Amino acid sequence: MRGGSIYIERSSGLHRLHPLTKVALTALCFASAAALPGLPWLLALFVGLLLPLAIWGRLTGAFLKACLLVVGPFVLSLTIIQGFFSGGETVLFNLGRFVFTQEGLLAGLTFAARLLVALGGTLLLMQSTPQPHLMQALTERGFPPRIAYVVLTAIQIFPSFQDRAQVIMDAQQARGLELQSGLLNRARLLLPMVGPLILGSVMDVSERAMALEARAFSSPARKTSLNTLADSLLQRALRWLLALAAAALLLWRLWSALQ
Amino acid sequence: MIELKKFSYWYPGTEQSALDRVSLSIAEGEFIGIVGANGAGKSTLCYALSGFVPHFYNGETEGQHTFNGQDMASLDLGQLAGQVGLVFQNPFNQISGARFTVREEIAFGLENLGLPQNEMRARIDEALELVNIQDLAERSPFSVSGGQQQRIAIASILAMQPRVLVLDEPTSQLDPDGTRDVFTALSKLVSTRKITVILAEHKLEWLATFCDRVVALGGGKLRAEGSPQAVLSSEQMLRLGVGRTQYSEAAARLLRTKQLPVTLEQARKALK
Ligand SMILES: Nc1ncnc2c1ncn2[C@@H]1O[C@H](COP(=O)(O)OP(=O)(O)OP(=O)(O)O)[C@@H](O)[C@H]1O
Ligand SMILES: [Mg+2]
Repeated sequence: MRGGSIYIERSSGLHRLHPLTKVALTALCFASAAALPGLPWLLALFVGLLLPLAIWGRLTGAFLKACLLVVGPFVLSLTIIQGFFSGGETVLFNLGRFVFTQEGLLAGLTFAARLLVALGGTLLLMQSTPQPHLMQALTERGFPPRIAYVVLTAIQIFPSFQDRAQVIMDAQQARGLELQSGLLNRARLLLPMVGPLILGSVMDVSERAMALEARAFSSPARKTSLNTLADSLLQRALRWLLALAAAALLLWRLWSALQ
Repeated sequence: MIELKKFSYWYPGTEQSALDRVSLSIAEGEFIGIVGANGAGKSTLCYALSGFVPHFYNGETEGQHTFNGQDMASLDLGQLAGQVGLVFQNPFNQISGARFTVREEIAFGLENLGLPQNEMRARIDEALELVNIQDLAERSPFSVSGGQQQRIAIASILAMQPRVLVLDEPTSQLDPDGTRDVFTALSKLVSTRKITVILAEHKLEWLATFCDRVVALGGGKLRAEGSPQAVLSSEQMLRLGVGRTQYSEAAARLLRTKQLPVTLEQARKALK
């Protein structure tokens, strides 16, 4: 069974940063995605900051691939929609009554670039940080452990659904249920799968909850951690700086919108 | 230290009791085996002995149920967890899923107990060694086999060093070497630390060799109780669907004796 995380194990400086430092970086990316005024700025941030960080983290290939996979379809759909429907002066071409404008194209691309920057920041964080370490960093700062646990296991355990679905499907195919043919047929034949899947998961939940209790999850003791997450004064300062930059960007954006 | 007196238990919404007037008294330092066919109530008895019945499953209870003289229902699961450890039948559901490596997974229970780091490290190393999985320490608990997960589940509870250890078919997915590792580790803990071990198990040969006492269940009732020799060699075990050890089986075919052997050693003597 796979753990459902997108973490990629590498030995790199990016991986060794304190998780909260990377969270601050991601926050800056989100602020930038929302606040930066235009396409050149967004692309400059991606090429000038995110890409070098990915290279530093030895994640270049996986990082670019994930960006392309997620943002690619958006680029296409957004430029088409915006190009045709957001209006503008400079007509590039027309399809019957519909005109495709340069302004629309630019708007579509800009929107896609905003997604790219936000996604890029998230990817850098998730690909270089094991989720348990991220959660540890958060709970050490007072985040409730129960919520952390639910979020974490949802991410890690979700793929077991897929595995289980596959097992049930194999079993039912072995019993002669034909799952391959025809879309309608497939939908109808999927029904016998839903029962075992849901039942199995509900029983699992209660067993899991018990297993958690056996591990003293509701013990009244104050929880400790096996590993101390490495941190430094420099990183603390950097975090504040990043957070300030993010806040400043958003404020500046708000202010200029009000003008 | 754990005592059941005419204890009955009904799972929520069921008519048939899963445990039926079971009386059982467990002393400190005992190594006890529970046998019974599928559905006989082994898991339910394990839950009762570790406090999950009635604390986790509501259901109805009748009779007495005490831990160190205190009514089990008045105790709190969070506090019990440090004293009574329970290893479940299914290893996969015991992987907390909240930790990244096997080492951290074993640490999960210790972190919840609030132990300091150096103590955690020492206990984790010891638990890894006891079930012989030192080489898995840095792997992901999701990337190992079912049998290895079972060892991890056992190590995770061992590291918490409970005074009472209840294990529900902990070797169901283990090969003979794995089974030996687990039984050896448990008997070592019983003799060196005086902990109490209660183990539901189908592998009768191992129970016969290691246990002080065997309890046989059938349809939720306690059907037999006593030394492995007395209980496992009896005719009744065949009727209960428990079966017999391979040594008893061999002796039954080869000899005409009243008292069947249950361990290899006894079989060797009897066949001489
Ligand atoms: N959660 C539950 N709700 C209702 N009834 C249950 C529940 N769990 C078990 N039972 C019933 O209680 C009885 C005893 O089950 P138990 O799981 O204790 O048996 P077991 O001896 O552990 O069997 P196995 O060898 O299959 O593990 C069975 O009749 C079973 O159907
Ligand atoms: Mg059972």
